[in-house]
Amino acid sequence: MIFSSVFFVFLFLPIVLLAYFIVPGKLKNVVILISSLIFYAWGEPVYIVLMIFSIVYNYIAGIEIDYHREEGRDGRVKFVFLMSVVVNLLILGFFKYYGFVIDNLNHILPIEIPNRALALPIGISFYTFQTLSYVIDVYWGNVKVQKNLIYFGTYISMFPQLIAGPIVRYADVEEQLSDRRVSLAKIGSGAAWFLRGLGKKVLLANNIGMAYDAIAALPGDEVSVLAAWIGCAAYTFQIYFDFSGYSDMAIGLGRMFGFDFMKNFDYPYTSTSITEFWRRWHISLGSWFREYVYIPLGGNRVSTPKHIRNLFVVWMLTGLWHGAAWNFIFWGIYYGVLLMVEKYLFMDILERLPRIIRHIYTMLLVMIGWVFFFSPSMGSAVAYIGRMFGIGAAGLVNPTAVYYLYNYILLFLVLIICSVPYTYKKFSGFMQRRRSRLGVAIAAYVAIFVLSAAYLVNATYNPFLYFRF
Amino acid sequence: MKNLMKGIVGVKYVLIILLFIFIAGLLSSGEISDAKLENVTEKVVKEVGTEKLSAADNRMVKRLFGINANDYEGVSLYVAGSNMEVEELLIVKLKDTVQSESVEAAIQGRLERQLESFEGYGPEQCKLLNDHVLDVKGNYILYVVDKKAKAADQAFQKSL
Repeated sequence: MIFSSVFFVFLFLPIVLLAYFIVPGKLKNVVILISSLIFYAWGEPVYIVLMIFSIVYNYIAGIEIDYHREEGRDGRVKFVFLMSVVVNLLILGFFKYYGFVIDNLNHILPIEIPNRALALPIGISFYTFQTLSYVIDVYWGNVKVQKNLIYFGTYISMFPQLIAGPIVRYADVEEQLSDRRVSLAKIGSGAAWFLRGLGKKVLLANNIGMAYDAIAALPGDEVSVLAAWIGCAAYTFQIYFDFSGYSDMAIGLGRMFGFDFMKNFDYPYTSTSITEFWRRWHISLGSWFREYVYIPLGGNRVSTPKHIRNLFVVWMLTGLWHGAAWNFIFWGIYYGVLLMVEKYLFMDILERLPRIIRHIYTMLLVMIGWVFFFSPSMGSAVAYIGRMFGIGAAGLVNPTAVYYLYNYILLFLVLIICSVPYTYKKFSGFMQRRRSRLGVAIAAYVAIFVLSAAYLVNATYNPFLYFRF
Repeated sequence: MKNLMKGIVGVKYVLIILLFIFIAGLLSSGEISDAKLENVTEKVVKEVGTEKLSAADNRMVKRLFGINANDYEGVSLYVAGSNMEVEELLIVKLKDTVQSESVEAAIQGRLERQLESFEGYGPEQCKLLNDHVLDVKGNYILYVVDKKAKAADQAFQKSL
């Protein structure tokens, strides 16, 4: 089940909200847990087993770590912790990377190992990182062990952020699991977040996604330089509005149930360096890697070679987290290298350049990065980048490119306007000046809702890019 | 407390054993096929024959079904040469079984549009369309409109 579906918006969510507000305080987490398991089982009836395993196994691991620590058995604490990390990573590794590893081994080895690739359980990368955050924080003593299985299950399976994040760290919601307030204002702001996210996903991402899909379906020899750039720009906007829209919907739903999740995007396309871009893009994933991999490795408080190693490890893992394919690994390393170059060679020069040049530099590299991300293989990525710079392209401009530019130019303008904070800040400022303007805001959100609903009812095209992670 | 802990830890190890059994079950269920799309297509096309059908490219996939071939592991499409003929064959190898819902919806959309087009004046075409085969087998989807659709489906199932 996805948020941007008629079934979720008109049936599942209203029923769950109703049940949540009817039941007394202590049962509210039971409602979230049961509805989350139903939400997950809707699309993954088989893999619900994995989800339940993950909840119960890590719940027990937490209790065991706490028990042995109180008994003063440090060796046992370490053993239980390491075993838990290994089991979580093995499950993720098996379901996500098994096919990739076997494929590569079959290329190298003289024998053919049978490869029965299994379907990827939805959200496994997200919820495994959440369970790991809990186990690691319990081991480090940063959080208290959770002895209530319902509360722990609620944290792992919570449907608002289950399938596409943000990756909520246990430490951030520890208190909220047992004590949170829901007010009318919070529900209202949650609904506004949800509707903004729905609009971003359905009205913006889906529409520009059609332009990308159309250009991606063209045979290589019919793609001109301009068409290649239009396709790449279309994907650049699609992935941002798709993923940030879904994150906004998750944050909004969380607020409706009284939770406060961290912001996952902060206008990343306004960045003037790659370093800044990664502070603004998928913030929860970046924080996770920083907290649980980069800092434990020594972060930047080590010698330069070790710091380079740390950056390399984190970015290779970031790439691998996104997908079991060489182009994702390359994409991760590409950013690792860019960040190293910025930090050690280029930052001083970059800071002296005019803002517009820094912005063009950042967007150019980000767009090239997305080519590795959307291409089915390394070869096709290189060929696509070649076409963007005239190698193997069908000329500089061809009628197909002009057709797509003419048809999508207005949408591109809207997307650019919505990618910068100016529009939202103006709208918020306008709202705050006079309370009577509340009606304007409600009308704007109702319009987003009606338009999105109309699109959802009519359109069969409703992909979701971050589903496969 | 010590006994309680022993019991809890016992549950953890039982869970790990159950997980292994679950994974073994998944691997042996054969739901997901690693058969090559070209091989599956070849066997299915052999059944329906190529007198009426010819291979189409990804643009045609997009035009007729509204799906983007690059989103999937692979797509094979064969269509009839004339607009007055409804025979067609689509095989999609999914990257993830989650994609099956949207592909099925796209196929249903195509089928409904074709039925609307031929309703009232093309009884033979409508019969073929109504007798279509839409078969979802794990990570493979077959859609055939052809008088030999059932034979094609059998070949499809055998080839996985």
